[in-house]
Amino acid sequence: MIRKTEVEETLKRIQSHKGVIGTMVVNAEGIPIRTTLDNSTTVQYAGLLHQLTIKAKSTIRDIDPQNDLTFLRIRSKKHEIMVAPDKEYLLIVIQNPCE
Amino acid sequence: MATRLQSRPLCQAGRASAGELATGGAAGAHGPWRPGPLQDETLGLASVPSQWRGVQGVRGETSCQTASIATADAGTQGRKREDAQVQTEAPVRPAPPVPRPDEPRLLAFLRRVEPAVTRELSRNWQSHAFDGFEVTWTEPQQTVTCLHTLGYPPAQGQGLHVTSVSWNATGSVLACAYGRLDDGDWSTLKSYVCAWNLDRRGLHPQQPSAVVEVPSAVMCLAFHPTQPSQVAGGLYSGEVLLWDLSRREDPLLWRTGLTDDTHTDPVCQVVWLPEAGHSHRFRLLSVAPDGKVLLWQGGGTGPLQLREGFALAMQQLPRSARLRKPPRGETEVGATAVALSSFDPNLFILGTEGGFPLKCSLAAEEAALVRTPSSVPLRAPARFAFSPQGGPIYSVSCSPFHRNLFLSAGTDGHAHLHSALQAQPLASLRLSQQYLFAVRWSPARPLLFAVASGEGAVQLVDLQRSSQKPAVSVSQTQDGSPVYCLEFNKQQPQLLAAGDAKGTVKVWGLSTALTEQGPREMEDLDRLAAEVAPEGDGAAGCVGQV
Repeated sequence: MIRKTEVEETLKRIQSHKGVIGTMVVNAEGIPIRTTLDNSTTVQYAGLLHQLTIKAKSTIRDIDPQNDLTFLRIRSKKHEIMVAPDKEYLLIVIQNPCE
Repeated sequence: MATRLQSRPLCQAGRASAGELATGGAAGAHGPWRPGPLQDETLGLASVPSQWRGVQGVRGETSCQTASIATADAGTQGRKREDAQVQTEAPVRPAPPVPRPDEPRLLAFLRRVEPAVTRELSRNWQSHAFDGFEVTWTEPQQTVTCLHTLGYPPAQGQGLHVTSVSWNATGSVLACAYGRLDDGDWSTLKSYVCAWNLDRRGLHPQQPSAVVEVPSAVMCLAFHPTQPSQVAGGLYSGEVLLWDLSRREDPLLWRTGLTDDTHTDPVCQVVWLPEAGHSHRFRLLSVAPDGKVLLWQGGGTGPLQLREGFALAMQQLPRSARLRKPPRGETEVGATAVALSSFDPNLFILGTEGGFPLKCSLAAEEAALVRTPSSVPLRAPARFAFSPQGGPIYSVSCSPFHRNLFLSAGTDGHAHLHSALQAQPLASLRLSQQYLFAVRWSPARPLLFAVASGEGAVQLVDLQRSSQKPAVSVSQTQDGSPVYCLEFNKQQPQLLAAGDAKGTVKVWGLSTALTEQGPREMEDLDRLAAEVAPEGDGAAGCVGQV
């Protein structure tokens, strides 16, 4: 393809942000659709974060049925994982923040 | 009853009337009443009605009983019986087909979330919210403690040294090899390979769970990377043996025998090499000071077969080695230590008797110059020679976190940190007045390594804290006899085993600061590896003076 699709361009923009280690898009079943990391790491992140997002969403809804999950961030010793959830897809970005 | 003074006819007790008794009984019978002598009298009852209590409650009694409960008994028994067992199997995951995503919907989703994600990313990059914020999940251990002191009394009685220790694939069994490291002669010394299971409850420090008697001194030991009970050892006679410690009667599985192919010098180190293509099959690599590096494979019955071999000859070393003596004839270069690179399966680093590490490749093609032919064509593996140190190298170790860094330690008492890309070491630390016998990188922290010194101390150097002196130094032997070997436990990185000349193996438990990675350690390691050592005259300064 000579002309990159807009999807690729958007993902490339996110990936080129400062400190971003990896970006991936996961569908509603937890299957990764687009990724910048290697296969085994992608599958691991996709499966685990998909389940965690479902759990987080149900937590918010249980506390207040009028509320809903908009963004999920997990901070660990080494980096920060950000998950933007949606009805059909999940965008996962892993960033190594400046300490 | 009191006595009476006058006698009277005795009247029956209880018959006298109340009135008679009240008057003393004397009035009716003996004239007008006179106060009589003291007599006993019984007065009648007088009842005083209660003024405040009303009518006493009516009391009545009834009884009741339930009708009898009907019970019935019946028995049943199944006639037919069936047994069935259920077990789950590890699911074979077929590669999931990549679904054709709906491009317009995916694009719409990305357009929706991109502003929010970008905002969070840039905000996170500048945020100082978590600076210095740390969570302690486990109880931190402050000091390095000696957890176990293990020994085998018959071997200690013969004065044998512990020449090598090794942890098995699961990290629960520790094996040690006994031999002597200060003998220069051929010896028919019998020695032992002992194994302790540290996770078992009845651990007895003087009784190993498995002991193998070996006809010759064992110089090195290596457990199989995936089979928890197979261990390979190299002997003083040049043989390489493979034992299975789970077999009680005859643990010996394979041996190379003493043929033309085997080493003619004591085997200094054996390592397991994953086979190219089949990552679950392994081969044994053995190095010895006769200049040969041999690759063995066990197959079926019979001895270990030589698959490939390499020989080091002085003339075939790369020109980059600044060797003092010009090579003459087919001088062999003795190899005394080997380390495999964790990143490149074809690369290995050899430590030599001449004091210069060599970078070698398994894929070398050039034929080696050897005096005696062998069944398998030997090749020359050396690709690059690093600058020599002051004496023979006893141990090399490749970093598990960086593809270019490795450490070497030898008789000059220095630990040299090399980058595989340049001949001069990046740093040299003087750690002992005597020899350094073993050096190992920590599997948990990128900037930590341990050395075993000839003064009987195990020293842990943390390059983050200080690159001049060790962070922790624990002395293993009381009388200063050397520590010959040490190994980290890859499954439990806080355990470090070290064996010394007294025949004891001590298992040290490291403190939390030495096992947990700090937040920026990988970056510091990369920065360290990218430094370039001073060129020119600095070369002579780095070489240790003997």
